[in-house]
Amino acid sequence: MKPHEFYIWMSYGMTALALAAELVALRLRRSRSLRRIEEERDLEAQD
Amino acid sequence: MKLNWFYFASPSTFYRLAGRMAPVFFALAALLGAAGLYVGLVVAPTDAQQGEVYRIIFIHVPASWMSMFIYFVMACYGGVSLTFNTRLAAMMARALAPTGAMFTFVALWTGSFWGRPTWGTYWVWDARITSELVLLFLYFGFIALANAFEDPRRGDRAAALLALIGLVNLPIIYFSVLWWNTLHQGSSVKFTGTTMQVQMLWGMLLMALSFWMYSLGASLTRVRAIILERERRTHWVRELATT
Repeated sequence: MKPHEFYIWMSYGMTALALAAELVALRLRRSRSLRRIEEERDLEAQD
Repeated sequence: MKLNWFYFASPSTFYRLAGRMAPVFFALAALLGAAGLYVGLVVAPTDAQQGEVYRIIFIHVPASWMSMFIYFVMACYGGVSLTFNTRLAAMMARALAPTGAMFTFVALWTGSFWGRPTWGTYWVWDARITSELVLLFLYFGFIALANAFEDPRRGDRAAALLALIGLVNLPIIYFSVLWWNTLHQGSSVKFTGTTMQVQMLWGMLLMALSFWMYSLGASLTRVRAIILERERRTHWVRELATT
């Protein structure tokens, strides 16, 4: 990869980071949605 | 066998279908990505003019293709939701936008890191690069507009309209290297053929397929969360949350 390994790994590294960040965001969004449904259901049950 | 498409347009049916399909697309993305990286980083020869730095194209070009393709599909879903007032089409448009924005960012970032050793600069206000940056702003605008209204259906309509107007940017990106005198080189892969060495081409096509499968997996996973949020007061979602 020499002498351009910095540019190559910065490109591949950022791509991996962006993909990983999106996958984490997807997981968080799903768990947040499920938690919201449970909270609303619990509130209704209290009423 | 006659397929009833309206059956799959129901959010409850599509939620289950997307849940079964998304893992398959993610698995295909991982397999194709591993093969693409192997061909791109190990098998493909060093470029005679650019040396090793050309290997950035194995992610830069597929990411650029996906940035435009996802926008086109997103605008189509927006058009369908505006025309037929279908809930699922609007949800799919919303689900595609963050993945499209991510690939646009990756295309700009990798292009920048390819440009520094090749052109001597990270950034230049060239027609191709500037129009790709406009695409990133269009994605941001779509996401912001879709979430700017308390009533999500109003957000859907406003964002769909923006997506349709923004379609004009796609031919500008694609033909910018022909219409203007740009620093960015022309396409090496065209519908009529290619000038690339065969192993380099295979590496790029495998990575493009991998990104495509990833986009399908990510958008289907996201649309499931959107369906849960939108349909949270329906009986089937309540039942789903308890199981």
